[in-house]
Amino acid sequence: MGDALLTVSNLETYYGPIMAIRGVSFEVPRGRIVTILGANGAGKTTVLKTVSGVMDPQKGTVTFDGREIQGMDPDRVARLGLSHVPEGREIFPLLTVAENLGMGAYMRADADGVARDLEMVYGYFPVLRSRARQRAGQLSGGEQQMLAISRALMARPKMMLLDEPSLGLAPKLVNEIFEIIVRINREQHVTVLLVEQNANLALHMADYGYVLEVGRIVMEDTCARLRDKDDIKEFYLGMKEESVRGTRRWKRKKTWR
Amino acid sequence: MTGRFTVHGQATVPTLFRHVVAQRGDAIAMREKDLGIWRAVTWRQYGERARRAGLGLVALGLRPRDVVAIIADNCPEWLYTDLGTLSVGGVTNGIYTTDAPRQVEYIVNDSGTRFFFAGNEEQLDKILEVRARCPSLVKIVIYDTDGLHGFKDEQVMTFEELLDLGARYDAEHPDAWERMVEIAQPEDLAILVYTSGTTGPPKGAMLSHRNILFQLGFATFVAEPRPGDQQLSFLPLSHIAERSFTVFYPLRTGATVNFAESIDTVPDNLREVAPAVFFAVPRIWEKFYSAAALRMREATQLGSLAYRWALGVGMRMAEGRIAGRRPTPGLRLLYRVADFAVLDNLKRSMGLHRVRGAATGAAPIAPDLIKWYMALGIDLREVYGQTENCGLATAMPPDRIKLGTVGLARPDTDVRLSPHGEILLKGPHVFLGYYKNAERTAQTIVDGWLHTGDVGRMDGDGFVTITDRMKDIIITAGGKNITPSEIENQLKFSPFISDAVVIGDQRKFLSCLIMIDHETVAQFAQERNVPFTNFASLCRAREVQDLIWGEIERVNRQFARVETIKKFRLIEQLLTAEDEELTPTMKLKRTFVNRKYKDVIDSMYVEAS
Repeated sequence: MGDALLTVSNLETYYGPIMAIRGVSFEVPRGRIVTILGANGAGKTTVLKTVSGVMDPQKGTVTFDGREIQGMDPDRVARLGLSHVPEGREIFPLLTVAENLGMGAYMRADADGVARDLEMVYGYFPVLRSRARQRAGQLSGGEQQMLAISRALMARPKMMLLDEPSLGLAPKLVNEIFEIIVRINREQHVTVLLVEQNANLALHMADYGYVLEVGRIVMEDTCARLRDKDDIKEFYLGMKEESVRGTRRWKRKKTWR
Repeated sequence: MTGRFTVHGQATVPTLFRHVVAQRGDAIAMREKDLGIWRAVTWRQYGERARRAGLGLVALGLRPRDVVAIIADNCPEWLYTDLGTLSVGGVTNGIYTTDAPRQVEYIVNDSGTRFFFAGNEEQLDKILEVRARCPSLVKIVIYDTDGLHGFKDEQVMTFEELLDLGARYDAEHPDAWERMVEIAQPEDLAILVYTSGTTGPPKGAMLSHRNILFQLGFATFVAEPRPGDQQLSFLPLSHIAERSFTVFYPLRTGATVNFAESIDTVPDNLREVAPAVFFAVPRIWEKFYSAAALRMREATQLGSLAYRWALGVGMRMAEGRIAGRRPTPGLRLLYRVADFAVLDNLKRSMGLHRVRGAATGAAPIAPDLIKWYMALGIDLREVYGQTENCGLATAMPPDRIKLGTVGLARPDTDVRLSPHGEILLKGPHVFLGYYKNAERTAQTIVDGWLHTGDVGRMDGDGFVTITDRMKDIIITAGGKNITPSEIENQLKFSPFISDAVVIGDQRKFLSCLIMIDHETVAQFAQERNVPFTNFASLCRAREVQDLIWGEIERVNRQFARVETIKKFRLIEQLLTAEDEELTPTMKLKRTFVNRKYKDVIDSMYVEAS
């Protein structure tokens, strides 16, 4: 797949005695959007947390931009240019929007650059400019998601980890946000690793996809090809062949091919 | 009480069933897990429900010798239907739940099935899809109606409705049942078993009541029954081995049948049930062994040391037993310690600690695997047979074990070899023939001898060794005859190899296609930090290729040079029972694999030249 910005190899992560990630390997090429699909509890969030240093793996390596970062503290990982937009946004509700964005640029010393990036962020999400003085906790869910992405962008990352940006948002807003994510990827050359339950959206937006099931990758391919697979259609896109009765409740066995 | 063709003094399945139901009353006949709780069915209830099911069919117009097909996972309803049908003079035919609609269509039409039982919505859809082309079909009955709320169809009814219909018929015709139980005669056709047919369409083997009763006479060879014995039912009932074991065997022994929730939960259900008698195909025995071997590799140093020591003691016991020596008191004491400290725990972890009788059959098994189980103290006995002889033709006697052979002919039957080395069988276990196929029947039974299609040897003591299916024998380009299954069995003994097909007919050298064991190989890769994503990428990893080659070389050392495997390829798809490459018992179908992977196979020979 060419030049990999992020390479994850044989990752194993535990919650106490429970093995959440059972040997996962994948890579994200520079400048691309890669998605990891999976059901609840498949281990998607754990993968992101392990990559960004929030959790430490028991085993395996994470190589980012040529450096091994597994087990590194999250702030150091962030300094290397890897920003994590966590599930559920996790903005600072009592700070204003502008202050939240300032937190994103906390590690940066170039005031000029920060000011330019603030303009860039407001350019992508004009609504944040108009709400700049409001407390972030007063924003709508969609605005909070925009803020969380913007805050991550303020660190000028090489790569963003997005954990379910569509969670709890209206479909119209979801489309809007995803379009902007694609634009950010193209215009700012930020590599994106996206975890999503909205498979349809993710498979149309990303270049390459992995399917994670109970802590293991069972399938990988370009998104165009993944969209054509029977298992993906039935289990992730909700498309079923109709039976002779017109309805069908039973599920085929997953074969992952 | 049990004569040559009678069991408990009865000569047909219906009368035997009536007899044991009356005798056993409220003893437990079977259990099924429902929402996490094992629910029991007594013999009385079993008899009652079978009676209603049978009479319900009569009310729908079933006539003696009508064929009733069942396509469902193992469950009590399967048994009610089976014995209910037989008791009113009908014929039952189990269809594999993994069969596709067009296979179902073929079997229904070939057998002229009039009544069709579908286990659930998924199986129902198969018959609904093809019923327009099944003119003989009268009624479809469904067991599990989940997902069918609001579904109405003239031709479809639920099993409950059938039972109600049967109860009403019973009330109106109080002596019908007793009369019908007597309809079937010992020589009459009882069940049809369609053989999976690796070549050509499946054929319906006809088995009579006498075939079944005769085999039941020998059913206790693995262990004398005791009250309270449990057994677990999980292999497909459409296979003669599981059918005999789950449906007929308990008629003789009174053991309680426990239905596993699914094939995936077998290890858990096994621990819950802790059966006294256990029948499984080699693949299952291999899986248990692989799981244990894997656990031992992860064990602490002390743990693995203890395991190796205890297994060593067990092996000495097993070897002594095979050689016919009595163990010395010292060894016996040592074994008691080993059993107490290690082996018993291992057996408990598998749920096999109460097993008194264990059997393997339906596919070849590696002798070393049997020895491993013997070392644990599990008396695993190999049996050989086929559908056409009602399941069992030879069995390993308990007192004279010759590993690598399938034992001696079942008492009261004969085995001999044809001039070509084909194994021929004669006796009351030989089937009636193929349904409506006199030509194939005449080719298969010649002068009373059943031609098995297996080639093998027989030693001076009468022990039979199966070398291969006759049509599978490989003749290399150099003219050398090779029996691939001997090599394949050795390969399958590796915990990393799930199945293998050796290739080389008309070729310069032998090669093979290998299906890896997903779990163990994935764990191997993980331990060695070999990155992989999906199954194909696991297969392609250099280290995995080397690992499998290492296993092949280990096997190669046991064979002559012309019989060694020079090249191999891995099957990069994770196959399931629904795939045509596999038989329902998860064996690779040689002819099919040869055809489907022709390009892959050819590539091994192209590079070489």
